[in-house]
Amino acid sequence: MYEASDSSLMQAVREGDLGALAILFERHHRPLFNYFVHMNGNRDLSEDLVQDVFVRMLKYRQSYQPERAFTAWMYQIARNAQTDSIGKRKFEVALPDREFASANVMEENLKRKQEISILKRAMARLPVEKRELLVLSRFQNLKYDEIASILGCDVGAVKVRVYRAVRALGQIYFELSGPSAQGGTRTAG
Amino acid sequence: MNCEQARTQFVDYWRGTLEDTRAEFDAHLASCEHCRAEAEDLKDMWSALGALPDEDPSLRLRARFYDSLREWRRREAIHRPAFWWLRHPAFQTAAAMLILAAGIGTGYVLRGREISEVSHLRGEVDNMRQLVALSLLQQQGASDRLRGVSYAYRVEPDDSQVLSALLTTVDHDSNVDVRLAAVDALKKFTNNPVGRNGLARALAKQDSPLVQIAILDEIVEVHDKTARPAIQALVTSPDVNPEVKQHAQWALRQLQ
Repeated sequence: MYEASDSSLMQAVREGDLGALAILFERHHRPLFNYFVHMNGNRDLSEDLVQDVFVRMLKYRQSYQPERAFTAWMYQIARNAQTDSIGKRKFEVALPDREFASANVMEENLKRKQEISILKRAMARLPVEKRELLVLSRFQNLKYDEIASILGCDVGAVKVRVYRAVRALGQIYFELSGPSAQGGTRTAG
Repeated sequence: MNCEQARTQFVDYWRGTLEDTRAEFDAHLASCEHCRAEAEDLKDMWSALGALPDEDPSLRLRARFYDSLREWRRREAIHRPAFWWLRHPAFQTAAAMLILAAGIGTGYVLRGREISEVSHLRGEVDNMRQLVALSLLQQQGASDRLRGVSYAYRVEPDDSQVLSALLTTVDHDSNVDVRLAAVDALKKFTNNPVGRNGLARALAKQDSPLVQIAILDEIVEVHDKTARPAIQALVTSPDVNPEVKQHAQWALRQLQ
């Protein structure tokens, strides 16, 4: 009962059983929301975009091809929704620095919060293409072939691009961490 | 393997998916200090990314989704393909005459129609509650399934699909809390013979004393004497927890 695949559910939606989309919503709305939050740093906008993705799934359900991974199709729609709604410039807006605002806590928590905050700021400074690669590969845990299908490239290119994105993130992270942190790193530059 | 080739393998190394090239990759790292340092430093970055906490959307998101899904279903139900004769002028003239006649009679039946529209809307809401309950009960996460059980309270007591999903949950769910919540939710359905029989049947399938006791309490509460054989079987079974047996004997006395 708990094992209906994403693909079979989407096929049911395509054939007119719109209720099957509710199961897909319950399965995927949270990861999708986090995808958007990582991409644009705005919770309200991200909720609007999640809603938009599921409406587009209904609208374009006839275009779903069962031989293609459902998540690849879904993130393709998500990318289009994001691009359509805010355009290239706002797409690269920096994530808000929420963690520092509430940092008046125990020292360990503070350190952890600062690390998280720096990491988020580093993510926000990454070029959008690199940030998206990290979100898909690390936060959404998509397989290489799924990412390749979303981005329209081959698996080898995905691996190399993810490596370069992590490397770029590392450089920004250590710059933001200040000289003391940079002393410990061997990879800057 | 040279440095460039090794770097194309870094992501697999961090993800733990290096397979065929593992030996060559390890050999390169052992001999190249720069690659070794970079692989390890960036591995920390990779791990830190994975530890970033997820954010939860607001409850409004779910409400919005189900509202729009309901709207889509309603629209699709209305927009059936029209027959060609619907657009024919002769038909349209006749239809206009009929509408005029119907308009005269409308005042007489308006009140009745309002009632029917309200009951139609209520039916739609019930239908969406059923959909939410059924969808959540099929999720992997126990907290989602618990929410699904809570939605089951909001459907009509004659909803056989939700009843069936709850009984399946009681019989098969891997999480005891979810099973217990489902047993509680079944109280709503105990006027239904399927619900009562399902509870009695579920008794034999349970291995959790907590759930067994909850089911026994519910059977006693609705005074379902037809469940006596199932309870008797529990008393005589060698594998049942002594406290459950004791409770089963008490239940049998209550049902005399």
